[in-house]
Amino acid sequence: MSGLRLEGLVAGRLSRSGGGFRLPPLDLTIEAGKVLALIGPNGAGKTTLLKTLAGLLPPLAGAIVDTGAPAYLPPPGAVSAGFSVLHLTALGRARLRRWSPGLTPDDLDTARAALDRLEVGHLADHPFDRLSSGQQQLVLIARLFVQDAPVCLLDEPLALLDPAHAQAVEAAIQALAAEGRVVVASTHHLPFAARADRVLAIGPDWMEIGTPAEALVPDRIRALFGVEVSGCPCCGQALS
Amino acid sequence: MSRLRGSLLPALLVLLTLAGAFLVLATGPLGVTPDALLTAVAGQGAPEAELALALRGPRLLAALTCGAALAGAGAGFQILFRNPLAAPDLLGVSSGAGLGAALALLLGAGAALVQGAAFAGGLAAGTLALACAALTRSGDGRLALILCGVVAGALASAGLGLVVVVAEPYSQLPSITYWLLGSFTRATMPEAVGAVVPVAAGAAALIWLGFRLDILSLGDEQARSLGLPARPLRLLALAAAALMTSSAVAVAGVVGWIGLLAPHAARLIVGERAGRLIPASMALGGLFALVIDRLATAFGPAEIPVGLLSAAIGAPAFLILFVATSRRS
Repeated sequence: MSGLRLEGLVAGRLSRSGGGFRLPPLDLTIEAGKVLALIGPNGAGKTTLLKTLAGLLPPLAGAIVDTGAPAYLPPPGAVSAGFSVLHLTALGRARLRRWSPGLTPDDLDTARAALDRLEVGHLADHPFDRLSSGQQQLVLIARLFVQDAPVCLLDEPLALLDPAHAQAVEAAIQALAAEGRVVVASTHHLPFAARADRVLAIGPDWMEIGTPAEALVPDRIRALFGVEVSGCPCCGQALS
Repeated sequence: MSRLRGSLLPALLVLLTLAGAFLVLATGPLGVTPDALLTAVAGQGAPEAELALALRGPRLLAALTCGAALAGAGAGFQILFRNPLAAPDLLGVSSGAGLGAALALLLGAGAALVQGAAFAGGLAAGTLALACAALTRSGDGRLALILCGVVAGALASAGLGLVVVVAEPYSQLPSITYWLLGSFTRATMPEAVGAVVPVAAGAAALIWLGFRLDILSLGDEQARSLGLPARPLRLLALAAAALMTSSAVAVAGVVGWIGLLAPHAARLIVGERAGRLIPASMALGGLFALVIDRLATAFGPAEIPVGLLSAAIGAPAFLILFVATSRRS
């Protein structure tokens, strides 16, 4: 797991009529084991950048070097499935079983272990749709462990979550990185960004990469969101 | 425990359906005992058992195959589109098959040719829908597929309407109408066997897709993120379901509701996982078709078209299932 390198990557969405938007070119290396937080107002292009990194959208220019197979996770509540939590988690092994007749008992054991690790093992036989957003998000992160993707791209992983679940999910995200994966996560929860290794701020027509200490000072926040804050704009929590 | 139960239930349903088939053969005017039937199937039975098998075997096989095919295709579409209302004719396949059969009947073709034309018409409508959907560039192609299926179905229905208008009202129209209402009577052994082959191929593809269908049901983004080639797999699933539907409609005419009802009933028993839902739906669909076909001949000498019976029984049954499911959750 060697990290993620972007060479002049331009993410954006263009329409045929010439409209759409493009982000400024991005040169960036994120080492394995590091967490990069994306912050910026709604519509700035955080999701577009994540989907471009995931290979779900074509880059408009530049290249993503050697990512292995990235995994993309949409915001909480976006995945819906009527089958059991255990089955959904075991589907993380799909890449290994692409042409085999089915998932193996080994896949189910791996899934169960990942669910136990994030303390949602007791939900294994419940239908995924019946879970709360917080439980669903923990299950989907358990699936990232099962999938073992070297690059994990998380779209607002803490949205809709209560403080306890947000804490559990953040711990799980840190654990993903601690095992040597690159984690890129967009967020409006600035204390999460403050604990990341680096922060990429995406403004209306600019991008800035820096440490949390550089990115989260009041005047940078004002430049980004146009509001005056002493703490996190989403929850008021102090930015330490 | 639940793992064992989960994989046993579909097998039990298949056994139940096979038992139902024996029961249907054993009751009725030509009733023979199950053991006489078994020896007849093995090829050395009593004459009356041989006769029952020869006379009712094709029809039974046709009912089983068509019911299973429509239910399997319906389950496949429902999973793929995450839409409980998706039915086997989602891609316009039934209307296309109807148009093909009606055209062949209009031109005075024989039974085998009518079956072939229906099969070709169904596949043509399905292909048209898939090709149109491929031209669009909407993010997750499911909406495009549904719309293109509606378009292909509407075009075929218009053509069918035209055929009905120009058909000779006293000679051709009754046979076209009767064909469209659905029946397992006209199946001969070669025709029934001719349907078994494509249905088995389609079913094998859907069952192999299994957990891959579950992933496709999460949407293309999730499928690609989990490392599956979403588009080719979805195309395979759609082609398999369209093949099964075309084969069924070609043999039996338009028999609605099985493809909608059986998957819902199966879902109550085995849950949502495609690997279990598809075999279970096929078993229940076969059983439902058997029961309907038995009922079609149960009321006097005139046979009731199975398409009518299927709707008359299927629609209320669907409502009951729906109420039962919604109360459960």
